Amino acid sequence: MSGMPSPVVKQSPCPTARSSFFRGVKLGLPIFLGYVPVGAAFGVLATTQGFTALQAVVNSATALAGAGQFIGLSLMHAGASIVTVLLATTIVNLRYVLFGATLSTHLQATPLAGQAALAFSLTDETFAVNIDDQRRGNATGLSMAGVGAISWVGWVSGTLLGATASSLIGDPYRFGVAFAMPAMFTALLVAQADDRRHITIAVVAAVLAVVFALLLPGKWYIVAASVSAAGIGAAVYK
Amino acid sequence: MTEKYVWIVVIGMALANFALRFIPIALLSQLKLPRPIERWLSFIPVSVMSALVVGEVLRPDGVWLPPLSNPYLFAAIPTALVYYKWRSFLGTTVAGILFFLVFRALLG
Repeated sequence: MSGMPSPVVKQSPCPTARSSFFRGVKLGLPIFLGYVPVGAAFGVLATTQGFTALQAVVNSATALAGAGQFIGLSLMHAGASIVTVLLATTIVNLRYVLFGATLSTHLQATPLAGQAALAFSLTDETFAVNIDDQRRGNATGLSMAGVGAISWVGWVSGTLLGATASSLIGDPYRFGVAFAMPAMFTALLVAQADDRRHITIAVVAAVLAVVFALLLPGKWYIVAASVSAAGIGAAVYK
Repeated sequence: MTEKYVWIVVIGMALANFALRFIPIALLSQLKLPRPIERWLSFIPVSVMSALVVGEVLRPDGVWLPPLSNPYLFAAIPTALVYYKWRSFLGTTVAGILFFLVFRALLG
């Protein structure tokens, strides 16, 4: 692989719209597996802290913000002002600016409405899956919509489950689903690190991630490690 | 917390998150980025993936685990091999969950 992103979203060789969308849904199934239990945890926590079930589900359905939603909850519980809560969840999710910038180089041929749909469903996990699919030249706007749709369904249905039936499901983690996201990221890392340059930068990023995770709060290590490791990559491999 | 307070936060969070995700995509996809920036962005995915794995495996739920009793770390190794051999994300995720259950039982 040349390391250069292709300028436009390529059309897959057998592109009926339906099959492209459902290929995305299939690609997103590991995300679904990972989101249901975390969504359920959010639903349980939100309803025990004063959200109605409807508010918990609407929050998940419209924000799709994982860590941002949990942080919002804890700040609201502590009585923070509306502005503080919104600022905090925005800062936690600033890494989406970086993800959006990376995806944008592949979305020049995608219409604005399609870009909006992809932006709405942009998370760590959908970014990882779509950018990998893109690199193989398979991704289309519709396949990315499929990835986003199944992820959204997982997050929202998990929240609904947690908000309405927490006493029935018990601890969702006993089934080992805590490893669904780590397993998927591990597979995506192996897929991305496919030549010497990318393996080297992956190792650099891993070391920097440990260092930054020790130094910085929350998820900032992701941005700090990837911005600097990619900078090293761009400087060394011209 | 009052119901109104929660609704305002929920709506504000939806708007803020969408703006944050949409504006960079909408603006940057209109531009032809300079080659050094594109080269830098081309190394972002592998770097992000590596950082995510480090965070999720060494520090699950924000807590550093001692490496020799960390079921996430032990499970990640065969999981990587399964993907390397069979190239299926869903299969690898399911296999990874099974490896994790085994190591979690073994390591207590």
